[in-house]
Amino acid sequence: MRIFYNECKKAFTSPIFIALLLLFAAFNIFVIVNSSDHKEELKVASELVEKYGRTITDQSLRQFEQDFQVELAELKKITGREYSSVYDFLDGLNHEDHELYDENEWLFINQLQLKEMYVSMAKDIDGNYARIDFKKFAEAEIEKYGLGGAAAKTLQHEYEEFSKRFEEMKQNGEHKEWFFAGKAYFMHSLLYRSVFMHIIIEALLLMVLSTALITNYEFENRTHLVAYATTRGRSLMKDKLAASLTMATSITIFLLAVTLGTFFVVFDYSTMWGTSISSAFNWEYQYPYVSWWDLSVGTFLVGVIVVVYVVMLLFSGLTFALSTLVKNSYITFFLMSSFFVIALLIPSFMLTSSNLLFITTHNLSSLVLNPHQLFMGSSGLTMFKTFELMTIGCWTMITMLFCIFSLKRFNKKDIQ
Amino acid sequence: MLVVKDMAKQYGDFTALKDINLEFTNGLYGLLAPNGAGKTTLIKMLATLIAPTKGEVLYNGKNILSMDDQYRELLGYLPQQFGYYKNYSPKQYLLYLAALKGISKKEAALKIDELLEKVALSQVVNKKMKKFSGGMIQRVGIAQALLNDPKILILDEPTAGLDPKERARFRHLLSELARDRLVIISTHIVSDIESIANEIIMIKNQQILYKDSVEKICELLEGHVYETSIGYEQLGVFRKQYVLLSEKQEQGNMIVRFIHKGNPENEWRPVSPQLEDVFLYEYRDEIDGEA
Amino acid sequence: MRILWNEIKKILTWKVLLLLILINSVLYFFVIEFHIEHFPNGRPALDSYKIATQMVDKYGIDMDEDEILDFKNVYDAEVKKADRYLQSRKEFVEAGIGSYDKFANYSWENEEQSALHDKVFFEEQVDLFFELQERSRLITFHENRKVYPYPSNATAKQKLRYEELNTAKHYRVYTELIIDNFREFISDVAIAILFSVVLVISPAILKDRSRQLLGLQYTAKKGRQLYLTKIAAGMISTFVVITALLIVYFSIYSLNKTSLFFDVPIHTFIGNYAWYNPTFFQYILLCVAAIYVLGFVFGLFAMAFSSIVSSMVALLGIQIPLVAGMLIFGLKPLLSFIIGIWYPQWLVPTSYSVMLIVSVLFVVYLTTREKRRDIVN
Repeated sequence: MRIFYNECKKAFTSPIFIALLLLFAAFNIFVIVNSSDHKEELKVASELVEKYGRTITDQSLRQFEQDFQVELAELKKITGREYSSVYDFLDGLNHEDHELYDENEWLFINQLQLKEMYVSMAKDIDGNYARIDFKKFAEAEIEKYGLGGAAAKTLQHEYEEFSKRFEEMKQNGEHKEWFFAGKAYFMHSLLYRSVFMHIIIEALLLMVLSTALITNYEFENRTHLVAYATTRGRSLMKDKLAASLTMATSITIFLLAVTLGTFFVVFDYSTMWGTSISSAFNWEYQYPYVSWWDLSVGTFLVGVIVVVYVVMLLFSGLTFALSTLVKNSYITFFLMSSFFVIALLIPSFMLTSSNLLFITTHNLSSLVLNPHQLFMGSSGLTMFKTFELMTIGCWTMITMLFCIFSLKRFNKKDIQ
Repeated sequence: MLVVKDMAKQYGDFTALKDINLEFTNGLYGLLAPNGAGKTTLIKMLATLIAPTKGEVLYNGKNILSMDDQYRELLGYLPQQFGYYKNYSPKQYLLYLAALKGISKKEAALKIDELLEKVALSQVVNKKMKKFSGGMIQRVGIAQALLNDPKILILDEPTAGLDPKERARFRHLLSELARDRLVIISTHIVSDIESIANEIIMIKNQQILYKDSVEKICELLEGHVYETSIGYEQLGVFRKQYVLLSEKQEQGNMIVRFIHKGNPENEWRPVSPQLEDVFLYEYRDEIDGEA
Repeated sequence: MRILWNEIKKILTWKVLLLLILINSVLYFFVIEFHIEHFPNGRPALDSYKIATQMVDKYGIDMDEDEILDFKNVYDAEVKKADRYLQSRKEFVEAGIGSYDKFANYSWENEEQSALHDKVFFEEQVDLFFELQERSRLITFHENRKVYPYPSNATAKQKLRYEELNTAKHYRVYTELIIDNFREFISDVAIAILFSVVLVISPAILKDRSRQLLGLQYTAKKGRQLYLTKIAAGMISTFVVITALLIVYFSIYSLNKTSLFFDVPIHTFIGNYAWYNPTFFQYILLCVAAIYVLGFVFGLFAMAFSSIVSSMVALLGIQIPLVAGMLIFGLKPLLSFIIGIWYPQWLVPTSYSVMLIVSVLFVVYLTTREKRRDIVN
């Protein structure tokens, strides 16, 4: 235990390491605060959940519409004219007309406008969902990537499966739950594509550095002759592996805690945890986010955190194994960076008619670089139901084998 | 002539050396002191690697730091630990250092062959140094120090890692070199320099203790060194009473060598003091402390 | 000279060069290849490129009023061709889009029209219609030239520059495709080059230090001057790496066949307002110069950190925020839009000067420090 602690200490007492950790945390906070202009507007969705319940039923929607009409009548009082839509009022507005209304009135008008947006979006759900055909989506994907042969068949088949799930979802109304309007605020993208992406890249960088530092520490400080001739001997490498994994854990936890802590303080999600991640409001681009399972926003977040954490551990293990072979942290760093990118590139070198293509997309880099698409069926080439499980499973095996191999080799190697 | 004047070195509060005054002319000087006494600090100051906090070093009246490359041109230096490129052969390595020493490539090539022959490495001229033993590396180090035919040769623990045969050869090489140049060797192994040094310099308590020929230094203990034979059971008492220099077994008894500055007893046999005796006597506290 | 050569050999070792090739291949396929492989990227980009080449051939590097008139005439003639094409096809006439004018303004909601429109563009991919689209776009830009769309928050200087361009009749006539493609290309090349420089130069000085070579090096005749030689070797290596990579990447860029536009002033490309009026070729040279400066600055910083830090990991760690900062915040104003009007005119010269001065001073400081430093280990 003392050995293990001492190994960890090598990384977390390194000043550059601490400095980078703090810098990254500060940068993340900056990014979040910088994109928080619309955080007040988000409260409208929360109010809807509180007032009408999370689930959108015909009845609750009718109630919401009635309340909206009442408020629209308020608008008449303010403006003196009758409008059937806030947008009509806003469109008819001249530049100088803004001064006609005071701050409170504007606040009311803006709120009303947002409510109208939610009403109309909610009313359009059925119509819009009826138009979505994931089999067609599959065709488009096949054309986009020029797939043929077995690959095309595999993708078609998987999308047929997914269509069943989609139909099921339409039946059980999982998607009819309030969430922040995706097309207006892109909260899913902000959280997973921007914030999580920062955390992931930063954690990867720090993790590779700390793992390489711990693994090669004895060789780079010329203590290797002494260290590996002690009672603990070459088993010290096992402590180093444990220390590397622990450091990867600490880094991930620290960055996640600081960054997500800030995120959820700035953006109030308290009413949204139970909403389905496949909510029709979580629709940002051409297709809504549709998950393979009925996941709530909270469960999805936990799922993403678990995946990210496991991937960090795997990368740490891979870095450890590579470091043990290369014995040079500088080269290890660049080789790991290359490995990360090459994993993303390999699928594009595969035959587009072969299932090998999908085997190569099951890599850690693709997994961890698309946190917004995890567990989703609407994510193109990585949409497979078992994508996360298979990728993590296979790479856990590969990582373990690689670690065992390099440890075995190290045990036999001359230390000079 | 190399003169050290009022030199001192301080690292913050810690005094490494103080009040150092020395003069070197041609010949071989042995710098003798236990580890940690400041030998390496003194040597690094002579090699311009460390600047003195106080005082200066003069060569023929000129400050060696202001002489700059003119001084280093005359200097051959072997550090206690030195780096090398694992993938270089001794030849490549020496060619590299020859360039730094301002020796032309042609001249260097000849010189390198000659020197590698001298240190018995001609068999491995083009082998990568990463496979070399400690002794071989050390010999490459000696060769590099001689590359520029230095007028001042400073060697810090040069015999570390050498086997007895290599040591003998090295001693021979040194006395040959010392004929027409200034050689300073730091060591804590008395036998390395006892027979060949013109003068011995001893450092104690950050200061110069002695600077004199081996004979003169040994004279200091003249008449105080004895040998006698005692039984095992007496050894403990004996140790407490006298400064013991060495002890060895002989026919069931112990023959002890020791120092006593009063009246000798009858069975004690006076012997002539050796440099090692002075070393052990002067540094007895430090040595005992270490033990 | 020999010493310098030795130091360069110590930096550009086989191991490092192999790693350099690996990293560059990875980055090439990851970011750069796209700008070569997919240029022009689909349609109507292809048509835009074709028309632009015809225009340069016919009108030269700039277009005057007569030439624009000629361009419009060609357009009208092509419209007539399209009319004939549509007239000749029964289904179009029946759907009420029997002329190009009607075809272009087809109704989105009319399913029949919409289907036919898609058929022409996506199934049959009739060249003529893509070309017409592009030509009409270019004409619109020309017709709107007086309505200079400078944003309300433009500074006085920016407004002045717009007026200047306007009075000089520097109108936007050529497709922005060519220069946009170059911008994306050169910015990704800069990324590859910055990584390469940092990769190659960083370990240079730290290696000798951690191997305890300084004792020998600094007691040789050359002495502590060697530090400067090492810096020089680093600079030369930086130059070699940048030059070699630029040669490789620009040879690949030549596949885009944009040399036709080299003499075209960049302000004639649509949407390309700049503080100065260089030709496209001069603009390329400017970007190349900028890359050299950036490379030297990062090379100098790499060597400075290499002289201070105690381990390779620290050396990498300390440079991560610098390189990342440059990629995230720096490259756009300092390279892709190096003379772009959206950034203040003083920004680029000031930034480059400051970076150069700081990095040089840093190294000068370290050189003087090295002269006096006690070599303890």
